[in-house]
Amino acid sequence: MPARNTAVRYGFVAQGLHWLIVVLLMVQVTLGKIADELPLGLERLVMMARHKSVGITILGLAVIRLGWRLFNRPPPPPPMPAWQLTAARLTHGAFYVLLFALPVTGWLMSSAANYPASWFGLVQLPDFVAPDEGLEHLLEEIHETLVKVLIVLAIVHVLAALKHQFIDRDGLLLRMLPWRTR
Amino acid sequence: MAYPLIARILLAGLACAAAGAPRAPPAGGGEGDQRVGSLRFTAIQAGAKFTGAFRRFEVRFEFDVKNPGQGRLHVIVPTASVDTADPERDQIIRSADFFWTEKYADAVFHAEGFEPDGRGFLARGELTLRGITRPATARFELKQSGKRLAMKGTAQLRRLPFGIGQGEWESTEWIGDEVGVLFDLKLRPAPAAASP
Repeated sequence: MPARNTAVRYGFVAQGLHWLIVVLLMVQVTLGKIADELPLGLERLVMMARHKSVGITILGLAVIRLGWRLFNRPPPPPPMPAWQLTAARLTHGAFYVLLFALPVTGWLMSSAANYPASWFGLVQLPDFVAPDEGLEHLLEEIHETLVKVLIVLAIVHVLAALKHQFIDRDGLLLRMLPWRTR
Repeated sequence: MAYPLIARILLAGLACAAAGAPRAPPAGGGEGDQRVGSLRFTAIQAGAKFTGAFRRFEVRFEFDVKNPGQGRLHVIVPTASVDTADPERDQIIRSADFFWTEKYADAVFHAEGFEPDGRGFLARGELTLRGITRPATARFELKQSGKRLAMKGTAQLRRLPFGIGQGEWESTEWIGDEVGVLFDLKLRPAPAAASP
């Protein structure tokens, strides 16, 4: 499989980034949920620290992914109604926005809460806002709302991919999978 | 002969600059509390440094620039006044696992005799925290600002020798041992002969 996208499928860089981010997002949502439900204590601190480290990792990967996509256009989609093309384009665009907005709101929220973020204890992120409880609560609301949007869009995205693959049988899912060349 | 005169002025200026002389020598020491300054600390949490503060404290400072060896510094900090911008975390810091403020209400630093150190001074003294007394050193610089004496400095401490962080909090993997202290005060002149 070539590194770059071809006319029929994504290359391994785009596929690798897609699936790696999928896995990290699942870990991330789980860590966030566990940490959110814990009372403040060492366990919550540790979970939150991991959540932040994974979040920073996702932000870094999002930058790489967006850069790669800008210089390496996706393979053309199989024929489908115009409304589906529009829906797909909007969903994909929203995913890119979320891949940046989620980590950034999390980062700002950490600073506003006076719990600065570090990447696996190796590098501390700068604080762009001062501690501020009101701001923290606002960012928390936004962060949590964005997660809900992400989950809904992910479900739509998966259902749409499965529908194309198994009902329309247009091979759309194979564009993002490594096996079987057409 | 203007040249030697200019040279003399320049030399005098250089000597002043080298000795840090243009500022007026601070004298007499002073008193202060949270209304005239700040007492902050930094700690490492999950690999990231954050800053907190104590909202109440009292400082008594006796000082004579000609005889810093006879100076005294006495600081009392009610540790329940800790403020890290998160009431939940403050509650944990006040608990028996950290400051145990119910049993040990105050942290006390006391130093007698200061050593000149560059443009500032070292106050080698003793810090009592959570009922444990250990040597601690603060470094400070002084500057006269109007009637007030500006005192600014730092101290590097370790929390574990004082038992700050019990049980699971003893591990330094998530909460660092090193704690920095930063103070920035504008001391009022002390009432005459009020020193103990």
